[in-house]
Amino acid sequence: MWFPEVFKKYKVVSVHQLLKEYIETGRIKLDQSIHEELTTVHDPCNYGRKSQKAFGQAFFEEPRWVTQQCCEHYVEMHPNRMNNFCCGAGGGAWAMPYSNERIYYGRVKAKQIMDTGAKMVIAPCHNCRDQIMKSLNKEFNLGIEVKYLWELVADSLVVEPWNEEEIERGHAMRDAQYERDDIVLDEEEEEEE
Amino acid sequence: MEPITINRKESRLRVAPEWADVCFTCGTCAGGCPVTGVDGMDPRKAVRMAALGLDQELIDSRFPWVCTLCGRCEYACPQGVEILKMMRRARGLRERDKVPGPIHKGVVMDLQRGNNLGIPRTDFLFLLADLAKEMEEEGFPGFYVPVDKKGANVFVTINSKEPFGEPDDMKFWWRIFYAAKEDWTTASTNWEGVNWGLFSGDDASMKTLVGRIVEHMERLECKTLLLPE
Repeated sequence: MWFPEVFKKYKVVSVHQLLKEYIETGRIKLDQSIHEELTTVHDPCNYGRKSQKAFGQAFFEEPRWVTQQCCEHYVEMHPNRMNNFCCGAGGGAWAMPYSNERIYYGRVKAKQIMDTGAKMVIAPCHNCRDQIMKSLNKEFNLGIEVKYLWELVADSLVVEPWNEEEIERGHAMRDAQYERDDIVLDEEEEEEE
Repeated sequence: MEPITINRKESRLRVAPEWADVCFTCGTCAGGCPVTGVDGMDPRKAVRMAALGLDQELIDSRFPWVCTLCGRCEYACPQGVEILKMMRRARGLRERDKVPGPIHKGVVMDLQRGNNLGIPRTDFLFLLADLAKEMEEEGFPGFYVPVDKKGANVFVTINSKEPFGEPDDMKFWWRIFYAAKEDWTTASTNWEGVNWGLFSGDDASMKTLVGRIVEHMERLECKTLLLPE
């Protein structure tokens, strides 16, 4: 480990812990009626097998729990967790020039998704989401919607706008920051003129 | 066809010298790999190549890059052969200007300019300000993106593909932070959350880039680091 002192001094979290904490402590409220479709979760290699190996901790139950706080109708892919198949774009393959091989790789994931009958796939990883949404969905005619785990949460939020005092405080802090950083938005410029 | 020289003693890819004997050549790894057969290769053959000292042949081949480093083979290996480590080492031993695709160029760009896609500080800050203004109009009054905010609870890194090509996707987390009333921040420079050194097999650069995030935590005195990758 490169910066062991950091882990003592700071809390380092993945998307899962933070989302789970917000939901469990009631800091955010979610509406399950927004996503009625049958939903499945993809296990990214980096949050599963590789996290288990590198840090002794894998994130399998967290994304499932968070997803099920947003979606009532849930189904598992098989195999999953430690034996899950990679989306096909891991290890930088999404950016690599070998797209035929990447799509060929992804046929296994596409079949897994198809077999669930799910209409929505949740990916807790940027790379997996891109491969499933932008590539596999088209190449294998999956007809699915794909969302990031945090996108699902954001789309399920019951948002209460801040009160006057909070809005004012936000604006004051924003203005101070923009002045420090020399940020003047076009419209404001016009108003000043 | 050129004869191939086998050298079992001096492999740079063998994680441990006893490797050749550790692998039983059972093929469990190959059986569970979705790209077995591509270029006539599979993980078992790659391990054999390393065990027999055919380093350069493996380093020069496409296989370590067609492999997604998913680690399924390694997890299933009954002998505990560290296939993943070997594949990544093979990537790392590729000459840097021959690393396929943009991942090495991204590492260089990140080292020089603070993110994989070279987005300048000013463009980034104006983009955040514009998007924040949209957010206010979209039902999140009072929202702004706190940048370099000292003492914030959560420090957040950013995936450069979002400000570059999918800026609205940054709003997912912003909406959640707004609802949770989180005290969060990001940085005006060196905010990249995607460390391509992990995939290009470049430990030295990777460490430098991780070090920058540590610097942010120190400088801004944040308590929690969120890596939203």
